[in-house]
Amino acid sequence: MEAGVPIGAQLRPDPDDVPAEATVLRMLLGAQLRRLREAKGVSPERAGYEIRASRSKISRMETGRVGFKIRDIEDLLTVYGVTDQQQRSDVLALARQSTAPNWWARYGDIMPAWFETYLGLESAALTIRSFEVQFVPGLFQTEDYARAVTRLGHHSAPADEIERRVALRMKRQDLLTRPGPPRVWAVMDEAVLRRPYGGATVMRAQLHRLAEAAKLPHVTLQAVPFTRGGHAGASGAFSILRFQERDLPDVVYIEQLTSALYLDQRADVEHYLEVVDQLSGEALTPAETTAFIEQVARET
Amino acid sequence: MTSDEPAAPGGGSAGKAKPPTFDTSVANQARIYDYLLGGKDNYAADREAVDAVLKIAPEMGFTARENRAFLGRAVRYLTAEAGIRQFLDIGTGIPTAGNTHHVAQATAPESRVVYVDYDPIVLAHARALLNSSKAGATEYIDADLRDTDTILSRAGRLLDFTQPVAVTMLFILHAIPDSDDPHAIVATVLDALPPGSYLALSHLGSDIFDEEAQQGFQSIVGRMSQQQYTGRSREQMLRFFKDMELVEPGLVRIEEWRPDPGTLSDYKSTAWGAVGRKR
Repeated sequence: MEAGVPIGAQLRPDPDDVPAEATVLRMLLGAQLRRLREAKGVSPERAGYEIRASRSKISRMETGRVGFKIRDIEDLLTVYGVTDQQQRSDVLALARQSTAPNWWARYGDIMPAWFETYLGLESAALTIRSFEVQFVPGLFQTEDYARAVTRLGHHSAPADEIERRVALRMKRQDLLTRPGPPRVWAVMDEAVLRRPYGGATVMRAQLHRLAEAAKLPHVTLQAVPFTRGGHAGASGAFSILRFQERDLPDVVYIEQLTSALYLDQRADVEHYLEVVDQLSGEALTPAETTAFIEQVARET
Repeated sequence: MTSDEPAAPGGGSAGKAKPPTFDTSVANQARIYDYLLGGKDNYAADREAVDAVLKIAPEMGFTARENRAFLGRAVRYLTAEAGIRQFLDIGTGIPTAGNTHHVAQATAPESRVVYVDYDPIVLAHARALLNSSKAGATEYIDADLRDTDTILSRAGRLLDFTQPVAVTMLFILHAIPDSDDPHAIVATVLDALPPGSYLALSHLGSDIFDEEAQQGFQSIVGRMSQQQYTGRSREQMLRFFKDMELVEPGLVRIEEWRPDPGTLSDYKSTAWGAVGRKR
């Protein structure tokens, strides 16, 4: 799996054709435009004509190879007979998201393209479900914990680079406090709470932070204690991102050492959905989890 | 094609008071309903079952959406007009837009809602997604509808049973075969509540569901789903409200129960709905 090239038929344009900045978000939106066009029986030629463009422009849009103009999307939705205001605004919101200047652009030098892709998806998601086996989810990490984890991964990096990486992670957490935040539902193995990155003091602060985060109305945390062993998550960590638009598929994100894997084919996604559903049934309830986190903090 | 016939193989009271195992290779009522409502928390087996059902009973999509709309209107009535502030929602299902506490707390933020479901995965979704307003409260109980002792003793911790409570059982009683005596179950729950409490029910109607389509539906559900289907007639529905006073317009098709102005279409659902008040 080459870094930054997502897999899955809908997300698989000719690899040679994918510029580095192609985002999964754009591909998802493109695939959705294609479905809407085909459902209405509109030819690419006619669609191109309607927005004063060529057939190949439509094709490039539908495979996520070019950015979108909001006006073009509005016109296309009309041509495709999409009159439902909610559906129109869902699609347009995604289109705006895909064209918005990204706050993380200035971290480009320390961030691989596949992670930029993830940030784009994360900021467009309605719901983020994840399973963590080792690390506290990035959205809830304290600065000290993030620094300890970052040092492990980049032990030869100069101090200022480490600080910028930590700053990026902290900036990413703005997602949780913005208006209309995504719903974040994380299931964590007990190991996440026990492994004291940065030492006991850092870890205790981190655990208190988790307990605080759990109070946010759009955050749900569930721990899977060691005593409920043999859980479905033997697979390792992953996230599932869900989008508001009804026809957009969920996307599974699996981070690897030097790249990331994105899955959006229903059969693949469902395997992970099943694992996370099973885990959320096996894990402690959110209320029990808060008590458990506080207990682990006392023992740390 | 009524509840008096024996349940399909594998159905009946099998699984009584026992949660369904999480198995995505067979369809599941909560996920079927999620799919019919356009949700994404369903699996291939659920969609196959729905696709098969829609071939023989294409109105089922409409019926599912209307059931959701009925929930909205019934809970709004109970909160805004009947002054109810406590709800016991049995058969919660996978959360979607307009859940009971959303509707109730939109009118009365202090409303308290207890959600009950016997499916641990459904309940995990409910706990994650159904957050109460600050003024009110929500609680979740893992219990089978047939286990009324557990439901009542645990619901009694959040709800004050000396004050009126509205019980909602929407599209759940048709999963309870006659051999489990659903009328006695409903009566037991209502007996624990004071006068002025309410019961809101919706149920697929054996006498408004085309005979042939209904047989096909029962057969598909019997073969492909973890839950079974028992249709009930208008007369059987009214028995659930024995000794109660039915709120106008009484027992009607769900879409005809206090419809919002201008929303009635030419489509007909295949489900009965009613709200009754305990005397």
